[in-house]
Amino acid sequence: MDTDRARDGRPGRGMRFLRRTMAMAGKESLHVMRDPRTLYLALGMPVVLLVIFGFGVSFDMNDVPLAVVDQDQTPASRSLVASLGGGGEFEVVARPGDARGVDRLFRTREASAAVVIPAGMQAAWDRGERVPVQVLLDGSDGTSASNVLGTAVGAIQAESSRRLAERTLGQGGGGARPLSARVRLLFNPALRSAVFFVPGLIAYILYIVGVLLTALTVARENERGNLEQLFATPVGRVEVLLGKLLPYLAIGVVQALLVLAFGMVVFDVPLRGSVAVLGLGTMLFLFGALGQGLFISAITGSQQVATQAGALSSLLPGILLSGFVIPVETMPRVLQWIASLFPARYFVTILRGVMLKGNGLDVLWREFVALGIFSVVAMTVATMKFKRGGS
Amino acid sequence: MGEVVGERGVVLRAEGLEHSFGVIRALDGLSFEVAGGELYGLIGADGAGKTTALRILAGLMKPGRGTARIAGKDPADARSGVRELLGYMPQRYSLYGDLSVGENLRFFAELFCLDRRVFAERSERLLAITRLARFVDRPAEKLSGGMYKKLALACALLHRPEVLLLDEPTNGVDPVSRLDLWELLYGFVAEGMSVVVSTPYMDEAERCHRVGLVHHGKLLLEGAPERLVGGFSGVVLRATGEMERVEGLLEGVGAGVIAVAPLGGSLRVVVAAEAAGGVERELRGAGAEVERLRPNFEDLFLARAGEVEGAEGRGGGGRSDLPLRR
Repeated sequence: MDTDRARDGRPGRGMRFLRRTMAMAGKESLHVMRDPRTLYLALGMPVVLLVIFGFGVSFDMNDVPLAVVDQDQTPASRSLVASLGGGGEFEVVARPGDARGVDRLFRTREASAAVVIPAGMQAAWDRGERVPVQVLLDGSDGTSASNVLGTAVGAIQAESSRRLAERTLGQGGGGARPLSARVRLLFNPALRSAVFFVPGLIAYILYIVGVLLTALTVARENERGNLEQLFATPVGRVEVLLGKLLPYLAIGVVQALLVLAFGMVVFDVPLRGSVAVLGLGTMLFLFGALGQGLFISAITGSQQVATQAGALSSLLPGILLSGFVIPVETMPRVLQWIASLFPARYFVTILRGVMLKGNGLDVLWREFVALGIFSVVAMTVATMKFKRGGS
Repeated sequence: MGEVVGERGVVLRAEGLEHSFGVIRALDGLSFEVAGGELYGLIGADGAGKTTALRILAGLMKPGRGTARIAGKDPADARSGVRELLGYMPQRYSLYGDLSVGENLRFFAELFCLDRRVFAERSERLLAITRLARFVDRPAEKLSGGMYKKLALACALLHRPEVLLLDEPTNGVDPVSRLDLWELLYGFVAEGMSVVVSTPYMDEAERCHRVGLVHHGKLLLEGAPERLVGGFSGVVLRATGEMERVEGLLEGVGAGVIAVAPLGGSLRVVVAAEAAGGVERELRGAGAEVERLRPNFEDLFLARAGEVEGAEGRGGGGRSDLPLRR
């Protein structure tokens, strides 16, 4: 038995570390490839989220159904209605005789906005009097209502200033308006939702999937008793954690590329900055997210608790505190502090900065430093919490 | 099995191991030693502390008090290289169920950094002697209980440990596979390996060179099984009759009856030698058929456990909570 105990020809310490780490990584990859749930989470969910967010959730306004109550029936009133429908934002779907008809249209959801033009508008206008034009909105959907409000009021004001300009011009006033706003939107001129969403979506998907997948991995081995056998071997906890991390890091990179490609091809989202900076930020963020998942996994012990803790600690900060949907700057101070504890907030800034503005490290270094700190802390705490034996 | 095969010196030592889980005292000063090439059995009921003792020896946990040594090294100190000397097979299913037989073997070989050629040789031999070669591509979770245990054993043996710790290896294994497992163990012991086996099955005690009877976290008895049984002074009766009546009678008799356990449709009654005649008469008087049996290891255990519990005032009259093999 002892005669061929070939300890002499064994590889050195560094080589052994590498072999054990790669053995863990290889084994973990087999688990991933054989588990349909993991595969769905890893590759199916990004696609589903992309479709939902990319096509379904949009703040863009197109063809909002508009009811017009034109009690004036003059060239002036028709001109106002035409200006509302002209930009493609509104589509006139009904012309009820009075404001009472609007109520029914809102209830049946045939219209979600209405304009009531009072009789005598043209006449009052010619006399130089102010004319109130009523705008009615379906307030049951707050976000849409506020967007529609802005657009409708904007259109009415534009028509109003056009009239004013015509009149002053007609009186020989030189045609100059005292002030005129020339608005130019930078980085996203058409204010398309996708341009704003896709970078945030990359962060969101990587965060959820990164945290959830890794949160499950150690908890699963603990639950199935695998750690008992594993820890009776010479494998160290750093080798176990690093080996477990590598396959998920690879999955994360694939996901990032998938979402990026989808965003660029389907939604025409630009990538103005350096791919290297984007890649560096993505790797740093992934390390942080995976570290967070491993930490959850190491302290929870059961898959069920790990899933819940993983989902809660990535879904909520990922969607609400990252700037993905709601700008962090407009949040109350306390929420801003909480948001600054989660890596998603920095990654969204990096993604938008690099993709839409072409920013580099000179502008984004603070976010990179923050991501780096989070990753190091998360990994260190996870390794410390991950103990041999447990009980 | 012969006497202690101790010419190679002590390779495993447990000294005064104590450990508590909350209010439960799992180990209460457990000490034993195992020599090179010895097959040692830790025998005891569920909850006696066997698993805790083996986990401490495997370095998976540290004892509250006491010391554990494998070849003079602390098993909890991973840097001492002690894990290369140890093979451990947990009681729970601990291999990767979605990995095949071959993949599990390869994975554990990699953790021990075995040379590829050495791995090929050893896995081939292990697959052959465990008769698992045909199932090399089958996922571990699809193996039968006996085949699974053999695979777990193979995984624990790949690196040729000096000390092999097996926690209830025969639990949930069919009788044929159980014999296979014991035959495998004899083979490795003959090659010089030290093996510690825990089991709740008393009939397996007789397969070991030496056994330690564990009860409430400490050793009650230790020695070669046939010598221990040979020294047993009690009398063992098989009483067959109307069960309820016989049981009631035995409870009434009280003193002298050390232990009562079911035995097929009868009762196995362990009686102190001086009370045997009286108990026999009373049983016959109550219409029971009575027959004297050869004492075995279990009777010894029941008698000893009964004595200890009586002395500690735990009550229970030494009635066995052990699974019986029939």
